[in-house]
Amino acid sequence: MTESILTVTIRSIYVSSIAALIAFLSSLALNAAFSRMSRKYVEVISGVFEALVGVPTTVIGLLVYMLFFPGGPLGTLKLLYTPHAIIIGEFLVALPMVYTYMFRHYYAMRDTIRELVLSLGCPEKKAFKLLLRELTPILLSAYFVSFSRAMGELGVALIVGGGIEGYTNVLTTAIALQTSIGNYEYAIQLGAILVSITIMLIVTMKILGERVLWRLD
Amino acid sequence: MEIRLENVWFTYDGSSYVLKNVNLEFANPGLYILMGPNGSGKTTLLKIISLLFKPTKGRVLIDNADFWNMIEKDKQEVRSRIAYVRDKPILVRGTARYNLELGLKLRNNVEVDKSLINNLVKRYMLEDLLSKPASKLSSGQAKIITILRALILNPRILALDEPFTFLDNTRTMLLIQDLAKLVDNGSIIIIATHYMHRDLRTRAKQITELVNGEIIHT
Ligand SMILES: Nc1ncnc2c1ncn2[C@@H]1O[C@H](COP(=O)(O)OP(=O)(O)OP(=O)(O)O)[C@@H](O)[C@H]1O
Ligand SMILES: [Mg+2]
Repeated sequence: MTESILTVTIRSIYVSSIAALIAFLSSLALNAAFSRMSRKYVEVISGVFEALVGVPTTVIGLLVYMLFFPGGPLGTLKLLYTPHAIIIGEFLVALPMVYTYMFRHYYAMRDTIRELVLSLGCPEKKAFKLLLRELTPILLSAYFVSFSRAMGELGVALIVGGGIEGYTNVLTTAIALQTSIGNYEYAIQLGAILVSITIMLIVTMKILGERVLWRLD
Repeated sequence: MEIRLENVWFTYDGSSYVLKNVNLEFANPGLYILMGPNGSGKTTLLKIISLLFKPTKGRVLIDNADFWNMIEKDKQEVRSRIAYVRDKPILVRGTARYNLELGLKLRNNVEVDKSLINNLVKRYMLEDLLSKPASKLSSGQAKIITILRALILNPRILALDEPFTFLDNTRTMLLIQDLAKLVDNGSIIIIATHYMHRDLRTRAKQITELVNGEIIHT
């Protein structure tokens, strides 16, 4: 028996949005922490993150698998083949991408906003809030970029999730499974849903960006 | 409030000095003009006066106290009385009005003086602009918004970097009048400029010339 498309979709969105949220908050924290370090080190670290963007998701899946398999260092947590394992893996998949995306903008804007806040005789600590406000469109799209990345990846979901129906099955694993057993119609429907969610997000962002954010008071 | 620069040196790259042993004093209210060729160090000097940059060597004294040795709380108290307006305007996302009131907002100033703002807006003929996104302002409109944003704060020391570029004649005259008013109320205004308007020259308390990071004439 195959699971309903709706539950698979909801599970996918749930897992990916949490993974993306953790990746988003982590890279924001990393950017804020690195902004105290000297530019030279930050460039090196950011270069590493940039290089990590290209690591195949299967390799990250393998890494998380080795961490959590019963004899592994974190095996006692019994996370393998749970949605939590997928969230952790997808967080690692999304992190380098969302960090890299945020980094350039964050740095370009940071000094300008700091100067602006000080030049108006305000304490420097006000700068962070204004910086976040200024970067809102960038931050939003950073989140959605990492969400789409998490939604669309297969390697992690398959290796550490296992595509267990009713438990860890997400859109990508379902597509792979249904295709392999020749259930093409169902697979195509799943694929269409996956693509339309991504497209809807991009369109929503565009509208938000142009209609609302520039006027934000 | 008075500010004094004592043997101030400044370098961006650690090797060549952009300011060389600058000694300057702004003790009394007045319009102080800073002139000098491109790259002579005017902007750098204004940023040191506005406490945005720390001198590489030398001291900045505020009412005889060394600013860069103050505790954070005192520094903030001093900063709250100083404003600086950049040559190239910085505007943030939002409407022209949001940008105009930014300084007040950042200071959590609940009693934003609406009538003061409205009068300025009328005076500079900016009524139609206020609801426009800041990104859609012309160069002169952006410039005047950033200048008024600082004026509204009623600073004791106001440093203006090339305030008249992009401004039309009418608004230039208005601005010079308003700056003179601020001086009458006891503020020190320091302007870096190439454009020496006649009105400005007659009202200037002091004209300082900077060449190659050195003051040649006070
Ligand atoms: N961020 C920076 N990094 C390195 N060098 C800089 C920087 N800003 C300015 N300089 C150098 O410092 C010198 C003085 O620059 P500054 O901007 O203070 O001159 P200025 O008198 O304001 O010139 P202008 O009339 O063109 O505005 C110049 O030689 C410039 O190249
Ligand atoms: Mg300059």
